[in-house]
Amino acid sequence: MNMQNPLARVRGQGSSGGGSHHWRSQRYSALILLLSAAWVLWMGVSLAGADFATASVAMSSPVNAGMVILMAGAVFYHTQLGLQVVIEDYVHIAALEFFLLLFVRFACLVAFLISAIAALKLVLGA
Amino acid sequence: MSTSKRPMSPYMLGPYYKFQITSALSILNRLTGVFMSLVTAPLLLCWLIALASGEEAYSALAAWLGSGLGKLVIAASVFSFSFHLFGGIRHLIWDAGWMMEMPQVRASGWLAIIGSVLLSIVVLGAGL
Repeated sequence: MNMQNPLARVRGQGSSGGGSHHWRSQRYSALILLLSAAWVLWMGVSLAGADFATASVAMSSPVNAGMVILMAGAVFYHTQLGLQVVIEDYVHIAALEFFLLLFVRFACLVAFLISAIAALKLVLGA
Repeated sequence: MSTSKRPMSPYMLGPYYKFQITSALSILNRLTGVFMSLVTAPLLLCWLIALASGEEAYSALAAWLGSGLGKLVIAASVFSFSFHLFGGIRHLIWDAGWMMEMPQVRASGWLAIIGSVLLSIVVLGAGL
């Protein structure tokens, strides 16, 4: 039996049917970032102020390249999910909200692709 | 998108709620996340692009990172990462249903502040 008023259904007031997907995705990407935080800090400290040759050698390691690609995926996915919530909370002009959400998704996807291609180029020495 | 006016809960900053460590850390977690989205993550992307582009681009970026503004951006990024890390751990603990009593929430909040400041000092001290 459907208890919802038909008018509320037309107005879109009710469950979207996908309530926990965003929440779970945010936590799963956070777990990846949490588990690899030590690697990020170690790389950041060891490559701080490094010259071109040192940084190139570090990024030619398959382990580091793989971690960079994994991290870039988790970082830009988590970034997209987080900015989405901020935009949904504070931007109340429907058209602007729509385009900002679209832009954030697009920008995060492109940022991940460029990161992955750069890491592959560095490890394959192309 | 709803076509009718629906009630909204009051914003956490302002006259409706007392400003306290829980709300301060909540907004700080969001602010550090937005800062890393707009500054830190694009900077890491630029670093990868510069390294993949060659020595000239990499040296230019490295020189900028060594400048006063570059160091400020790095310091703010390290603190944002540290705070968001501890803030995220708090959220994951709550998500598991633990540490939800108010004294525990306040205590974990102070732990997050102290922990993120200490981690920032250690990382910046080791890296700069």
